[in-house]
Amino acid sequence: MMRARALYHLVRADFLERVRRYSFLLTLAFSVYLGYAVYSGQMVLQLDKYRGVDNSAWLGSVIGLVGSVWLSLVGFYVVKNAIQSDRQTRLGQILATTPISKGFYTLSKALSNFVVLAAMILVLAFAALVIQLLDRSDSRIDLFALLSPVLFFGLSAVAVTAALAVLFESLPVLHGGVGNILYFFLWVFLLAFGSGTIAEGVSDDGFHHFADYTGIVSVMSQMQNQVHKLDPQYSGGASFNIGNMNPTTKTFLWTGLIWTPALVLSRGMLFVLAGALALLAAVFFDRFDPARASWLPQKRPKLTREPESHEPALASIRGSLSAENIAHLPQSHLSAAHLVPLTRTGALSVSRVRFFTLLGAEVRLLLRGHAWWWYTVAVGLFIACLASPLEAARSGVIVAAWIWPALIWSQLGTREAQFSTGALVFSAPHAVPRQLLATYAAGVVVAAVAGGGLGLHLLFARDFSGFAAWACGALFIPALALVLGVTTGSRKFFEALYVVWWYVGPLHHIRDIDFMGTTAQSSTPAGYLAAAAALLLIAYEWRRAKLATA
Amino acid sequence: MNLVIEEVAKRYRRGVLALREFSLALKPGVLGLLGPNGAGKTTLMSILATITKASEGRVLWNGVDIARNPDALRSVLGYLPQDFGVYPNLNAVEFLEYLAAVKGLDPATAKHRIDELLELVNLTEACKRPLGGFSGGMKQRVGIAQALLNDPQLLIVDEPTAGLDPEERVRFRNLLSDLSGKRIVILSTHIVSDVEATATDIAIIEKGALVAHGSPEELLLQVEGKVWEWVVASAELNAAKQRFLISSTTRRSDGVHVRVLGEQPPEGAQTVAPNLEDAYLYCLSHHRAEVQQEAQVEVMA
Repeated sequence: MMRARALYHLVRADFLERVRRYSFLLTLAFSVYLGYAVYSGQMVLQLDKYRGVDNSAWLGSVIGLVGSVWLSLVGFYVVKNAIQSDRQTRLGQILATTPISKGFYTLSKALSNFVVLAAMILVLAFAALVIQLLDRSDSRIDLFALLSPVLFFGLSAVAVTAALAVLFESLPVLHGGVGNILYFFLWVFLLAFGSGTIAEGVSDDGFHHFADYTGIVSVMSQMQNQVHKLDPQYSGGASFNIGNMNPTTKTFLWTGLIWTPALVLSRGMLFVLAGALALLAAVFFDRFDPARASWLPQKRPKLTREPESHEPALASIRGSLSAENIAHLPQSHLSAAHLVPLTRTGALSVSRVRFFTLLGAEVRLLLRGHAWWWYTVAVGLFIACLASPLEAARSGVIVAAWIWPALIWSQLGTREAQFSTGALVFSAPHAVPRQLLATYAAGVVVAAVAGGGLGLHLLFARDFSGFAAWACGALFIPALALVLGVTTGSRKFFEALYVVWWYVGPLHHIRDIDFMGTTAQSSTPAGYLAAAAALLLIAYEWRRAKLATA
Repeated sequence: MNLVIEEVAKRYRRGVLALREFSLALKPGVLGLLGPNGAGKTTLMSILATITKASEGRVLWNGVDIARNPDALRSVLGYLPQDFGVYPNLNAVEFLEYLAAVKGLDPATAKHRIDELLELVNLTEACKRPLGGFSGGMKQRVGIAQALLNDPQLLIVDEPTAGLDPEERVRFRNLLSDLSGKRIVILSTHIVSDVEATATDIAIIEKGALVAHGSPEELLLQVEGKVWEWVVASAELNAAKQRFLISSTTRRSDGVHVRVLGEQPPEGAQTVAPNLEDAYLYCLSHHRAEVQQEAQVEVMA
């Protein structure tokens, strides 16, 4: 009973702390947007030329899939800060001294994550109801058919997401940006696995339901069966798209999901899996032990005796200090009176802006703290860009070369918030334009060096339009990172958005969203140059306004 | 060189008034800013350091409004916030080099200055270690060094001795005294002994209002003849605390020696020389009594 009460209060406090943040409103707004995207046809579920008649069953199934698929991705980034938050507020050190076990703590964090994501699912369920009321195609509302896919698929999917977020936060390598990027690929892999089984036309067996954590296979396989009965010529194709590139021409009556025992059991088992993942996280969780804190430099020099520690016993014996007994304490031979005064017209002249000194310091700050192999791979990618055939370098190697520094760019604009150095930096003269510009320029330097092999290659080949696309990419990426960093104060947003964009745009050479200009056809450098300038302006205005109204 | 604070008020969201009609004029020397937790000291420091703006009133640095032209002050400002962070992967030299660049120092001057400051704050031997492995006191000393990087004319230090060991605390007090000759130093703290050792001027603040301002001697004069030492039995200590304002207690073989503040002495009490802690407590209690009296008058009216 006591444990249940403790668990309730741990989850409750964490939940209240999160929902009282402004950012929580944004996450709810995202749920509302998902509902709107379905209503307006921006997100489409189709089976070749077929789509369902707009009834409760169809709407519920589509919105259920939208929720489970998208909130299992976005939700991860929304909640992956539960343990970090306790670390930053130093509440974790207090919790670590209480009798709660590591498993109990990670379970409570997973539950708290789940409650936050469940709130988003509930908003989506409400949106489903509102959409059917607005749509009026079918005025009969079947609440079970409408809400059951949203709640059962959505809640079970985000339960796994909530637990994965805690697991990633507990793992030494995955707790930061690497985890943010890897989760995207895990999500893509799980979706691809689902799509693969749809393409194979899977039977309704328990294993596939269990492996299908978003529910996409379960829903689509039943829909495929229904369309097959209606149209034997149906090829079995099914897709779930953003945008409506191949408009549907036929409709079928979707009567709703058949909740087979295997399907119900598989959704229930996902909650069990979520619990197991949360408990697994406890194995890796450091219980806020600073000696195991992964933010400390990995290679620490041998601890030397601190210079001041030559008289620790003396200091402790003296206890309280009084004016009389401090006179004979050892003093540094240098006093403040001996500091060399600085001349204001020379060394400190603000008019002579020492921009390049600051730029050098910013570049050094960006590049510190990475393992030797990180630099080795970066150099390898530079050489590969230079040595590969131009077409291969432009369409392939540069894509790898410009994903590699993603965790460096994600620092732009966030360091002051992340390390609480804002008061030191922003009290310096001309801090907003000068330091912000230097930060951006450092990001551009990183982009130019990381992808420099291709830049040189294009220049040697006299491919100036290709070079323009490359240069605009190098200017755009740091601008995107900077604006997201300055406006959100968090690295996560850039890491998540950049990887998704990188995957959808440059990797697949999709015109208009290929900011790297990986092919001549997909390249739109002028647009990205303008976008970079606009983003920079937004970042500047945001920071200026924030400091002005602090 | 002068800093003038004119009728400054700061209102946070939800209407919380952290500072009200705060006025003060400062010239070179050390101003000790004393007050209980939540009095508004850090808010005032943030306004003076151009981190935040006053909701009302203005602050003039050599006649220039720092809200309109913050860079006039920032180029000669050294600021040590109460809570600040460091970049854990940088060592002390690299971190100071970075902040020197942000403050606009040229590399050669910065290098020389950093060497001097690291020696001053006793971090020369540890200067190549990553800051992520530094103790709280060592980080605080890095903070002190960065505040002095640009040879500031206005040095603002907010709770600077927090986390320092006794020896470093003394060293820092001496440092402030050394620095105060040609610059304005504002030392915000609730540790009276830190102020006692260094301040040439003291301001006491409570609930965002200036309660008292003057030299240490002037404040001590206010409480002259109002501090008493009294010996009570241990069993009577709680009763004594209910009746009198007690600034300190010391247990001895003949009973508990208590320092009592008040106009009228307890029976058998001896008058003693006041210290700054007595003056601070007296000013606060006097101010609270006045506020209470005004509130009662308002209710009656």
